[in-house]
Amino acid sequence: MFADVATRAYDPAQRKPADGATAADLASRMPRLVARAHEIAASLAYGVHGRKRAGVGETFWQYRPFASGESAHRIDWRRSARGDQLYVREREWEAAHDYFLWMDCSPSMAFGSSLASDDKLSRGVTLGLALADVLVRGGERAAALGLTAPISARDVIDRLARALADNATEAARDELPPQAPIRPRARVILISDFLIDPDALAARLRRFADSGASGAVLMVTDPSEETLPFSGETTFLDTDGGPAFYAGDARSLRAAYARRFQAHRDAVRRAAQRVGFIFLQHRTDRPASEAALALAMGLLGADGASFEERR
Amino acid sequence: MFSFAAPLALFGLIGLPMIYWLLRVTPPRPREIVFPPTKILRELKPDEETPAKTPWWLMALRLALAAALIFAMAGPVWAPSGGVASSAPTLVILDDGWTAAPTWERRLAGAASIIESAARAGGPVAVALASETAAPVPGDGPRAMEKLRSARPKPFLPDRKAIGEQAAAFARAHRAARIVWISDGVAQGDAAGFVRALKESGAAGVEIYVEDHAPRALAAPTNDAAALSVDVLRIGDDASAVVDALDAKGRTVGRTTVDFGGAPRVRAKIELPVELRNDVSHLRIEGENSAGAVALLDARSKVKRVALIGGGAADEAQPLLSPLYYLEKALAPFAQIRTARPGVVDPVQALLAEQPNIMGLADVGLAPGETFEALSRFVEEGGTLVRFSGPRLANADDGLLPVRLRRNGRVLGGAMSWEEPKALAEFDATSPFFGLPASKDVTVQRQVLAEPDPGLADKTWARLSDGTPLVTAERRGKGLIVLFHVNADANWSNLPISGLFVEMLKRISAMAGESAPSSSERSGTIADPSALAPMRLLDGFGALGAPGLFAQSIPPGFDGPASAEHPPGLYGSGEAFVAVQTLRPTDEISAFDFAGAGLNASMLRAGGQLELRGPLLVFALAAFIADALIALALAGKLRLRPLGAATAALLGLFCVAATLDETRAETAPKSAATQRDKDAALTARLAYVISGDARVDEISRLGLEALTQALNARTSFSPGDPVGVDPAKDELAFYPLLYWPIVASAPQPPAKTVAKVTAYMKQGGTIIFDTRDALSQHVGGAPTPEAQWLRDLTKGLDIPPLEVTPRDHVITKTFYLLDGFVGRYANGETWVEALPPEPKDQAARPVRATDSVSAIVITSNDLASAWAHDKRGQPLFPLTPGGARQREFALRGGINLVMYTLTGNYKSDQVHVRDLLERLGQ
Repeated sequence: MFADVATRAYDPAQRKPADGATAADLASRMPRLVARAHEIAASLAYGVHGRKRAGVGETFWQYRPFASGESAHRIDWRRSARGDQLYVREREWEAAHDYFLWMDCSPSMAFGSSLASDDKLSRGVTLGLALADVLVRGGERAAALGLTAPISARDVIDRLARALADNATEAARDELPPQAPIRPRARVILISDFLIDPDALAARLRRFADSGASGAVLMVTDPSEETLPFSGETTFLDTDGGPAFYAGDARSLRAAYARRFQAHRDAVRRAAQRVGFIFLQHRTDRPASEAALALAMGLLGADGASFEERR
Repeated sequence: MFSFAAPLALFGLIGLPMIYWLLRVTPPRPREIVFPPTKILRELKPDEETPAKTPWWLMALRLALAAALIFAMAGPVWAPSGGVASSAPTLVILDDGWTAAPTWERRLAGAASIIESAARAGGPVAVALASETAAPVPGDGPRAMEKLRSARPKPFLPDRKAIGEQAAAFARAHRAARIVWISDGVAQGDAAGFVRALKESGAAGVEIYVEDHAPRALAAPTNDAAALSVDVLRIGDDASAVVDALDAKGRTVGRTTVDFGGAPRVRAKIELPVELRNDVSHLRIEGENSAGAVALLDARSKVKRVALIGGGAADEAQPLLSPLYYLEKALAPFAQIRTARPGVVDPVQALLAEQPNIMGLADVGLAPGETFEALSRFVEEGGTLVRFSGPRLANADDGLLPVRLRRNGRVLGGAMSWEEPKALAEFDATSPFFGLPASKDVTVQRQVLAEPDPGLADKTWARLSDGTPLVTAERRGKGLIVLFHVNADANWSNLPISGLFVEMLKRISAMAGESAPSSSERSGTIADPSALAPMRLLDGFGALGAPGLFAQSIPPGFDGPASAEHPPGLYGSGEAFVAVQTLRPTDEISAFDFAGAGLNASMLRAGGQLELRGPLLVFALAAFIADALIALALAGKLRLRPLGAATAALLGLFCVAATLDETRAETAPKSAATQRDKDAALTARLAYVISGDARVDEISRLGLEALTQALNARTSFSPGDPVGVDPAKDELAFYPLLYWPIVASAPQPPAKTVAKVTAYMKQGGTIIFDTRDALSQHVGGAPTPEAQWLRDLTKGLDIPPLEVTPRDHVITKTFYLLDGFVGRYANGETWVEALPPEPKDQAARPVRATDSVSAIVITSNDLASAWAHDKRGQPLFPLTPGGARQREFALRGGINLVMYTLTGNYKSDQVHVRDLLERLGQ
């Protein structure tokens, strides 16, 4: 009798942010998300790095002649032994980029519909963790924005996950990425549904940009949010406690809504691109690896070149 | 008045305000969806006004739905005259006089609802009839109903004294007893005493119910020379009444409308020729099915044609000296008198040519010759000859006398005699004059004397105080010769100027035309040889039938009121029967004044109890469907404007109902009909009229199929498969025979269809109307619904006069030799077009027929049900009374009917075959 599209949110009955529920739920689901993140990261490792880079880890950057005054232990003796000149082995990796990942845990993310297998929060966290792993494997350092310092350890997924689970309650309050201190030239990866005021987002992004960061914006969208597949007399309840919206016939709103949603997405895209962030969108009914690959490719470049070169 | 099977469920009604509150505060809840981009949605357009409350009509609908459910659970029963239900013992007294007969069914229904409600309340119920004397036995509902169903109205007005005592006894025996009297509202039958008994009985509650039908009655019917007249009595305010005069076969011979004009009793006159009037066997008020509305006419009230011939020359100047003068005066009130015109050569022959019943000869001597022979023949063939003596007769002994006369008469109390004029002796019990007062004023001065032959005493009807015969009579052949031993004027005695003379002539005239009762009939009753045994008696509905067990013989002079022992009807035997009327000539009927007796009589409402649970549940279901549709429409699921939703819901319901009709109506599409007509035209087949009742139609089809099989197997006629036809749409011309089962609930066909059916009958088609109600109809009673339906239908048809199939009708001989047409029932009559009367001059033929086939056959025996069998040949319906023989005869009747419609009077011509063959042989 009613809409064939079922939606689920963690706390549909109460019209207020479901902090505890989200946190508890996120914590309880984290092992699964972690496992999935590992899977995705592994597939990406073969997909991205396997071809483009020779050898994992010991990436040689350049040799430079030893300058006098330098510490002798920096001499690369194996190379120097081949000739008369002393060489110093320089590694780019010591200046590895810091990637600050922000996975939105606000109530609006805790939403999914029957059109997709995952809710937005799961998908976002999975993507974020997988990306962190890929980055760390690629020699970068990854941090949860505002939660952890950049980590380059191999168990980055677990550590980020633990941090997320521990801090989910506070993190859930924010709809905007937190204004955590970031290092200059760091990369900021924002994963959210961005159902916020595009202007506020633009302001926040500008601040990131001002501090010299660049990065990516991944907009995770549930299919139902894009198409409004509801009909009939419906009351739409906001997830962040805003006033409800009553629609006499939801179906009649469909076209207008689709236009309006596209406009919102465009606004988010403009806000991102204006500050030099790349904008990616992902629907939860698409495979997660697709978004992860796109994100990784966007960040790392298809040929393994750094982000700056691609820009 | 409502009563509930489970009144506790009504407490659910307390919940209604809560439902109301809930419905009022909670709007029809829209679907709630947690939707993150609600903010975006909100930017789309301003928030729509959320309905603050449910629309009032929707709320009313839902409240009604809830209320209907609660009421349905409580099991309401609508009992229009159920009275207050209590568990007190209830005595239902039902007036069962003829006054209750016209509304009998309604009374039974009303009584049944009272009994049902009392039984439901848990109290014992007793049923008593006003005519009963036995103590009522309280029992449970079914027992009381059984007794009620077996009750029949009585053809007399019961005296309520006995039942009043029983009611008082009942009230004494049961505490807080409730007495319900279903009264006929008539004061006669000691209503006042009964009411007093009820009041003094100490019963806790006395309820009185009456029907709104005030009875009408007939009393004192007379058939005199001028007209047939009868008193019409009424209680109510009927402005007029139609009185029908009916002959022995129940055909209406004459009718008249009387206008009461405010009077409770008026005299109705029906003027008819004497011949027709003498055929009248009873009078009846049209539309009043009760014994009281029937007045019976017996032999005494037949008008006789009397031819009078005087001996001497009539002296016009001195009429008082003419003997014929007194005879005419005495006979005029009840007989039609013929006298010879002056100057006729042979007055006896001339008057005999007018075929009188009685020939009165006042002092006429008869000489042997042609006149004598004619008169002898008249007597032998059943005429009554009444002779008065006189000087001429006294000296002529011509043989047409009951006794031999002595040459000279005797003179009593004359100047030359010392004897006093003789008075009359009491009449003997064997005399037809028995019961008449032997008036002491009548004296006889002169008379002719009979020879004291053996057997004289038996021939004597009246004698003088000294034992000499005054009136003698003798049966001769079929006729009767009566001789008054005095003359017809006042010379010899003052008998001719006394009232007794009139009465005596009346008795004689009543006997005229009767055949002599055989000795065995005479000795039928042992106790009283002259008592008249009941022959045909009226029942309460006013129909003549065989006498019941309790009817007793009446003495000859019976004039008491009709009672259980002597119910109204015809007593006697042969042609000499005496009628006992329901109302004596002096009887009155009047309405009982309940208000005056300090009682409140309420209307008994016909129509039994109505179980309301079903309708309520249906309503609740309909409301539920409507509500669902409305909810859908409000939720935007139904692409309808909200206002149209209710209409749509109703439409939907009608559609469902109409679909059934549609499918039925569409079974015969246009193109197929023509094909069917072709088939019908090529193969003769039986057809039945689709009644609209699926079950009846199926029975008709199966029945005709079975008949078709039988025709195929037994006759040379091989009909095709039977078909159902709708007279309104189908062409009827192809079917020789239409079987039309009557369904009372079906609507009457429109005038156009009736015209079509009439045309069909005119063209030679035959319709068998089967009312299928032989079990439920009673003779003379109110027509059954089916019969009424058929009557309504035939009003539009051009129906020839009908009669019950005579034994010699050709329809009983077309294939099998049958006595009648039985079906599922065997007691119903089969009516066909009336045959012309049998010609007198020809020898009786074994078979009679009209030139054409009877266009209409009416039966009530439910033929198709008797014919119908299933695929394996097993009969589908039990028969009444039953048996394979009845089934076989039903089938034979069907074959005869078909053969009759196909061959007409062919079989009646067959009776000539022998003659034709003989002629051919020559």
